[in-house]
Amino acid sequence: MNPEPTPDAPGPLPGDHAPPLWPHTLLAPGLAGAAVLSALAAPPLVGVGLALFAGAICIGSALTLARRVRRGERELHELDVRLLHSQKLAAIGELSSGIAHEINNPLAIITQEIDLARELFGQDACPAPEDLADIKDCLDQVGKQVARCCQITHKLLNFARKMEPVLQEEALEQVIEDMAVLVEREAAGRGVAIRRDYDQSLPPVRTDVPLLRQVILNLLTNAMHATPEGGTITLATCRQNGRAVIEVRDTGCGIPPENLPKVFDPFFTTKEPGKGTGLGLSLSHGIVARLGGNLTAQSAVGKGSVFTVSLPL
Amino acid sequence: MADPIRVLIVDDEERFRETLAKLLGRHGFVVREAGSGPAALELLGQAPCDVIVLDVKMPGMTGADALPLLRAACPEAEVLVLTGHASVDIASTMIAGGAADYLLKPCPTEELEGAIRAVYDRRQATRPR
Repeated sequence: MNPEPTPDAPGPLPGDHAPPLWPHTLLAPGLAGAAVLSALAAPPLVGVGLALFAGAICIGSALTLARRVRRGERELHELDVRLLHSQKLAAIGELSSGIAHEINNPLAIITQEIDLARELFGQDACPAPEDLADIKDCLDQVGKQVARCCQITHKLLNFARKMEPVLQEEALEQVIEDMAVLVEREAAGRGVAIRRDYDQSLPPVRTDVPLLRQVILNLLTNAMHATPEGGTITLATCRQNGRAVIEVRDTGCGIPPENLPKVFDPFFTTKEPGKGTGLGLSLSHGIVARLGGNLTAQSAVGKGSVFTVSLPL
Repeated sequence: MADPIRVLIVDDEERFRETLAKLLGRHGFVVREAGSGPAALELLGQAPCDVIVLDVKMPGMTGADALPLLRAACPEAEVLVLTGHASVDIASTMIAGGAADYLLKPCPTEELEGAIRAVYDRRQATRPR
């Protein structure tokens, strides 16, 4: 039985033990040339024989080379497939380790709450009256941590779901406004103002409106959480290089340069444990890509961040 | 009776710290808690401890960053790494950095207590008298 080569231990590369090329680059042309030269000086019948011999050598060599080129192409394709497979495995590995960590933490809390509740119940399963409030608190905490796990698994299901975009025409401004009114009240409560700077000449876009709403809402809530009292969030649209561009700008704390490349990674968060799943921006990035656009981030620490969604018009 | 084992829990999960402190406290340990590496260093500056239970993934200073600083701040303490991060690489980095043992969350309190006592006893046995 041949062991299947694994991505971690790939088989030998093509060319490692390939037959030498010199019979085709030196021997065959040399022999053919000598035969042609001899044919010039030889009697006609022998000359024809030598010319046919030269031809046979050339055809044989060309066929062998063609076979080797084809085999090389096939091996190259196989390597491509294996590389893609190993990249997929690496991505799955990274994702699994993230999921494990995010689920293990609430599980650790649940484990301890159960241990504590069991201890408070005592050996005779009859807790002291003064411990009852603590036991209830343990149970409440178990419920909270289960909800936290659910939040993670539900968001992951959104990743897995094959969300085929349903395109419809809609004014970009309208999509943004629908979400802005949702967060405006909370923003006002936090002392954060929401400003609008829409390009009125922008034509309607053909996009999946509910998916785009999800992206805008995520960007808006992130901006609100990053912006301190007295700050401003600006929602802007414009046309750039034939594309419709949405900008969500905030005057918040900004993202340190070392974190900026990681903001779209699944499970990356700087929020306190249990406060953010680290999946919002990663999901938004995936949605915008599926809508044919791209989502980028710029930031300066202490000044604020700009998240830009660029969509085809 | 022997002195109680002094434990410092360093973990950014507040509820995890609180309940673990409550449980260990009920079982005779003297427990302090810190929500981050810098907070732990501050506590160690006030008083030493015997065993540090250290999380790995924390915002700002990670457990791996904090490990050498904690060991320098309190050389007599043993460090027990307790994390939800299931990675052999991290475990070996932490052990190479001087951690005494590595446990994976979720871990039953009994097992964690056993590990704390084991690293403490090992330290007592190898400590120069």
